Amino acid sequence: MSDPHIDDALRTMLPRLRRFALWLARDAHAADDLVQSTMERALAKWNSRRDDESLRAWLFAILYRLFLDGKRRASRYALLLGALGREEEPTWPSAERVAEAHSTLAAFAALPDEQRSLLLWVTVEGLSYQEVAGILGVPIGTVMSRLSRARRALRALGDGTTETPALRLLK
Amino acid sequence: MTTSPPSEHDIHAYVDGHLDEPRRSHVERYLARDAERAEEVQAWRQGAQQLRALLAGDLASTAAPAMDPAVIRGRLRERRVRRVAIAAGFVLCLSLGAMGGWMARGMGKGAMEPMADAMQAYRLLAVDHGLGLDISTPNENDLRAWLSGRVGADVRLPDLADAGFRPMGGRLFATDQGPAAMVLYDDGNGHTVSFYVRPPGAARHLLPRGEREDGGLLANYWSSGDHNFAVVALADAAGRAAAQKIISKAI
Repeated sequence: MSDPHIDDALRTMLPRLRRFALWLARDAHAADDLVQSTMERALAKWNSRRDDESLRAWLFAILYRLFLDGKRRASRYALLLGALGREEEPTWPSAERVAEAHSTLAAFAALPDEQRSLLLWVTVEGLSYQEVAGILGVPIGTVMSRLSRARRALRALGDGTTETPALRLLK
Repeated sequence: MTTSPPSEHDIHAYVDGHLDEPRRSHVERYLARDAERAEEVQAWRQGAQQLRALLAGDLASTAAPAMDPAVIRGRLRERRVRRVAIAAGFVLCLSLGAMGGWMARGMGKGAMEPMADAMQAYRLLAVDHGLGLDISTPNENDLRAWLSGRVGADVRLPDLADAGFRPMGGRLFATDQGPAAMVLYDDGNGHTVSFYVRPPGAARHLLPRGEREDGGLLANYWSSGDHNFAVVALADAAGRAAAQKIISKAI
């Protein structure tokens, strides 16, 4: 694959990566940084990519790992500062607006990182369970049980608690 | 058909619409029997559909140019070029340092070569055939007295009459190691050989017997008693033969 072809293939993935990054980081700037870092990493590691690996799953995996690394670093830093337990509320204007509009989105936004990622990959992006297992580095059975938990959590937050999460998010 | 409940995998596949017949009917039959589970799975399906519909809009946003792969590729290349430049600079510094070190080593070596002063003294005087000597006499007794008074009483001046060489005279030099004396010999055919003696210096740098050539001169050197000696001649056949004779007498 020549460079312009690689660039084209990556470029078509940009909107999906941005959407994922936005829902993962819940901050527009952080999401853009994540996508940019993902692109850099992808270009640098392009030759180490297995041919049978789907480009989409590969990129999602890079982005997800970058996000987790960043979060780990941030929490170590917080630990260093002794600011533990005072987790920062996400600044997330556009998503808050949509969240306000729909209780399902509000519930979705309130889920933990991994559950948000799982639901996005499986229901929105349509990745196979095998691909998701590859991204998370867990057996497919584990993906299934985690997906059940995520779907139950989404339902529980969406039902009955329609108003509260939105209000909490809006502050 | 089996009546066992479908696997977790099949339930999710059903929710996500990945399930083909006959497993799809199997799931549906199972859900028909279990109203509570059916309600949950139905809610999961709805949630998934809503998410799909609601998040589809987020794709419309245009990507910032900073994220474009071609732009990033260019930036990575720049970074790589910068790194190579830094590495090249580093290598350049290293090699300059190494070169400098090598040259400094060369500089220092001149002084470190054994009896380099003897060769310089020869160059200074023998080439002009004895011009500028402190004492010009063929008399060996006079020379012996001159030598013992200045360099050391125990220094023996070789008698080279048998080898066909007669002394022309001597000259004193100040060296870092102490006073040095050179006596020049001549064989009457234009061949000049020097006999050079000086103290080994404060560090008592005594020499093993050796010889070396430098700039067309041949130096034989050794240590004996409290002095270092050198015999210097031109590094040609006649000089070699003469030096050989003198050394056999002198040592």
